[in-house]
Parts: sequence; structure tokens; C-alpha cells
Amino acid sequence: MSQSSAGHPSANPQKRHPVSRVIGMLSTVSGVSAALMIVTAVALTCQMIWIRFVLNGSTIWQTEAVIYLMIGATLLGLPYVQKLRGHVNVDLLALVLPPRGRRVLALVTLALTIAVIAAMAFYGFEMWAIAFERGWTSDTVWGVKLWIPYLAMPVGFGLYLLQLCADLIDVLTGADDPLAAGHGAAAEESA
Amino acid sequence: MDPITLGAIVALVTIVVLFSGVSVAAGLLIVAALFMVIFDGVGALELLPEIFFAKLNNFALLSIPMFIIMGAAIASTRAGADLYEALERWLTRVPGGLVISNLGACALFAAMSGSSPATCAAIGKMGIPEMRKRGYPDGVAAGSIAAGGTLGILIPPSVTMIVYGIATETSIGRLFLAGVFPGLLLVGLFMAWSIYSTWASGNAELALARVRYTMREKLEVLPRVAPFIVIILGVLYALYGGVATPSETAAVGALLCVLVAVVLYRLWSFTALWTVLRDSTRESVMILFIIGAAGVFSYMLSFLFITQEIAAWIGSLDVNRWTLMLAINVFLLVSGFFLPPVAVILMAAPILLPIITNAGFDPYWFAVVLTINMEIGLISPPVGLNLYVINGIAPDIRLKTILWGSLPYVGCMVVAIVILSIFPGLATWLPEVVIGP
Repeated sequence: MSQSSAGHPSANPQKRHPVSRVIGMLSTVSGVSAALMIVTAVALTCQMIWIRFVLNGSTIWQTEAVIYLMIGATLLGLPYVQKLRGHVNVDLLALVLPPRGRRVLALVTLALTIAVIAAMAFYGFEMWAIAFERGWTSDTVWGVKLWIPYLAMPVGFGLYLLQLCADLIDVLTGADDPLAAGHGAAAEESA
Repeated sequence: MDPITLGAIVALVTIVVLFSGVSVAAGLLIVAALFMVIFDGVGALELLPEIFFAKLNNFALLSIPMFIIMGAAIASTRAGADLYEALERWLTRVPGGLVISNLGACALFAAMSGSSPATCAAIGKMGIPEMRKRGYPDGVAAGSIAAGGTLGILIPPSVTMIVYGIATETSIGRLFLAGVFPGLLLVGLFMAWSIYSTWASGNAELALARVRYTMREKLEVLPRVAPFIVIILGVLYALYGGVATPSETAAVGALLCVLVAVVLYRLWSFTALWTVLRDSTRESVMILFIIGAAGVFSYMLSFLFITQEIAAWIGSLDVNRWTLMLAINVFLLVSGFFLPPVAVILMAAPILLPIITNAGFDPYWFAVVLTINMEIGLISPPVGLNLYVINGIAPDIRLKTILWGSLPYVGCMVVAIVILSIFPGLATWLPEVVIGP
């Protein structure tokens, strides 16, 4: 499995197409929001424990809010992690192919990923739209409007889709070399 | 088509897709979507986002980013080096002190971090150069740290165990406890091998060498490691004293570790804190994406009746339960050679668990055996992550030397699996005593 180290996602960033650069910035904004959501989840959980064990009170909305924050962080984190080449992959097949074959393989896998993420974004949007139109709420005491957490689906997958397209542009314009990318294993990866 | 044949086709397609270099999570989504569309039409895609969302809709998942932050915060300080130094000064009377302290520091670090490569990097940065300086063979220096690092996923807290708990709906607290003694068993085996091989390579004196430290030197390192020991004890108390759930404990642990890093280790700078947060976010998102995608993948498997049929088929085979366990071990070992542990567990555990329990094995004991199999994958080619971490820390040790150095430790792990099979109580006793049957 391989992950290139963070901060050097591309072979030649100067040559990047402006569109791909703008999308890259969007992904970073999305990633920072994801990180802030994780921080908020830590704070909320600690607050919840404080109320429950120190003030002996009861908590109503915190657990659910924390779960939705984690889902939001995961989805909004997708484009940023894609940009950092942080999604773990196994490239054994590429290693046995000649350079030309590798380039074709890289384009095919990128296209397949784009297709499936587009489906997730599209149906994720439908899921959100239905919850919004019908005013669905969660069946808990808090009863939050479900379109709010569901919003993470179309937004997260949508931005992820954009970042994948930016990657495709980079490969096609030669700003990113699929043969060089992702062959070094980085130090940080969870087991 | 009967589900078993279909299962074989799905397995083949999955292997090809996952080895193509596509990210593991996206690959699982691609395979799931493909078979759903073939057997149920395009309309089936509508379900995928709902299943994805439902899989992530679980409070227990919070513990993953929390334990990752905990480990990342500690790893960003020189806590690893301090731990190692403290052990070295206190363990000088033990033969082979240095390699023992390194493995001990790995075990202690593993008790604060749920990740193997992080453990490897934190202890290895200091430990490997020091061992080489004192004349330990390169193979032992690199191999012991690569193997010691794998303890990160066995000794609690462990991200791998959390994922297993979520995939199989078993208790995460119990899983953590089940990993304690097997973890210590592995540390013991690693230590024994390290001393033996140092001694056998003609360094008998070094293997038994003792460097003397004064009491003052011994005492001065303590305040630096004390806060982390307190956090470990606090986390353990909260977890097993029934004070809080693993997720809540992990959140408090994460906050405390960040505070210790900021206050005691002077990690003030915004950039340093952001690095911790960014790396934790990246790692958490990567794992949570695989969890959601694997949820969609296993939905597809049970929608096509593959999961149920495989379990029924294996149940109908008249094989000895240990033959079955051996076959499962070989399967896990081979998968672990190629795929990240999280992916193996999420894909295999839901299928294997009913088979295991039907054959009369304990699911917590099995979690430990599975984890040790994954640990072997972490220090074996072609994708052994820890090997590359060591290669990054000590670029002048050749990958081949690291590999040969790690091989005996793979042997130790196989021995540990055999010992666990003979004495399953090593894994099941502690959870029963602490939590009850």
C-alpha cells in the first residue's frame, strides 16, 4: 500500500491548470472545516462528560450531534485527503505493467472512481432533497432536522468528485505524473 | 448462478480492482456498485448513500479519530525518546538492557497510541541509532523496532480492535482487555529473540552488557514520562471502571494528550498544532471512508446471499475445527500481506464471525489471533508498512537487512498464535475477570 507524503501531492504544481488549482483550494477549505468539526466533536464530548459525571446532569443532544459532526468531518475530509493523496491504495498491478500500461491503468481507475463517486454524490443529493422536502427529523428526543446532517453527503461527495476531476486534468495536462505518484510509503498511517 | 460461484467471481473482481492502485475505499464502492447494478438494476444505486450514512451513524466510531489524535499529539513531542531513555536507565541491570528498553518503550507507547507505524516511528527515531552506536547488529536494531511497533494494534487502545468491534458488534472494552496479555506475551517473545540473536551473533558481551547510571540520572527522567503514565492509567480507569464509554474516554484522553504536549512539551506554535490536527484528520478520514465503503460492500455481499451461503457451506464441511482455524489463519495472513488491516477486518470479519462462533471459538480470542495475523502483514513484503517506516528513519540500513531482521519476529508471532491456541485463556481470562462473563 502506498501514500505519498503530505505537502507534495503533485509532480509539478507550477504547471497546474487554473481550474485544478481553484478546486485544490476548495478541497483545502473543505479539509479545514473537517478538522474543525473533529475539534468541535472533542470539545462537545468533554462537555458532555463534564455535565454527566461532574454536574450529575443529563445530556440530550450531544451524542447525536457528535455523531453527525464525525460523519460531516469524514465526508468533507474526502476531497482534502484525496488532494494529499492520503487514501490508502495498493498498486501491485501497476508495478508489473510497462509505463504505457500504467498510464492507461491510472486513467481507468480514476475514471471508475469518478463514476462511482458521481453516483454517490447524485443519490446523496436525492437523499438530502427528500429529507428537506418532507421535513424529516431524527426519531430521538432532540429530533434534529435530518437534512442538516444529510447535507454532508452531496457536499462532501460533490467536492470529492471535483477534486477527482482536478486530478484527471492534472494527469491529462501532464502536471501530475501517475507513474511517480503514490510510490513512496509515508510514515503516518494507521494500522 | 449459485451464491458460492458468484462469491468467487466477486472475490476475483475485488482483488483485481483493489490491486489496480485505486484507493481501497473507492475500490470497495466500485465493486459493490458494479454487482448491485448487474443484479438489481441502476435503481439499486439509490440505496448506497443511505447505507454509507447508516454505517457511519455510530457513536463508537468517534473513538477512532480520538485515539488517533492522542497518538499524534504524543508522537509530535519527544515523549517517545523520553520513555525510551527512562526505561534504559531503569533497566540497566537486565541483560541486553538496550534492546529490552526499546521493546518496552514500544509496548508503553502502544498503550498510548492505537497505530503501529506511529509507534514504530516514535521509538525508532531514537532507538535505532542508539542500538547501532552500541554495536547491535543492524538486523536486530531494525527488526526489533519494526516488530515492536506492531504492538500498537494489539496493546490497547487499538484502532484495529475498534474496527473489529464495530464490524462484528462485539464489546470494544472487552476486545481491548483481550489484547493485554497476548501483547505482553509478544513483548516477551520479542525480547527473548533479541537477546538470543545478539548473543548468537558473537556479541555475548553486548547482549549482557550493563551501563551504569547513578540514582540521580535515574530519577531525573521520571518527571518527563510521568504525565503520560498518568494519562494511560486514567484512560484505563475510565474505560474499565465503567466511568465512560471507549469513545468518551478517548475524547478526554485526546484532550489531555494535546494539553500535555502544549504545556509540558511547549508545543505552542500554531503550525505544530495544525500538523497534529491535519495528520489526524487525514488518517481518520481515510479509515472512516473505508468503514463506510466496506459497509456498502458487505451490504452487497449479503444482498446477493454470498455471506450467508459461504457461512452455511463452510458449516456443512465436515472438517476439524483446528483445520478450519488453520485455513482461516492462512487466509488472513495472505490478505494481510497485501491489504491494510482495516480493510481486511471490515471485509472478512462479518463473514468469518458466524463461522468462528459456530465452530466453538471465542470471538474475543479470535480478534487477538486476527490482529496478530495483521501484525505479521505489517512487517512482511510487499506492503509491510513498518518496514518502510524503518527505512525512512534509517535510510542507510538496506531494506533487505530490515526484512531479514524482521523475519525472526514473524516467527515469534506465529509461535504466539500457537501458544494462544493452546492456552486461549491468555486472551479470554482478563475480560472475564474485569467485565464478567
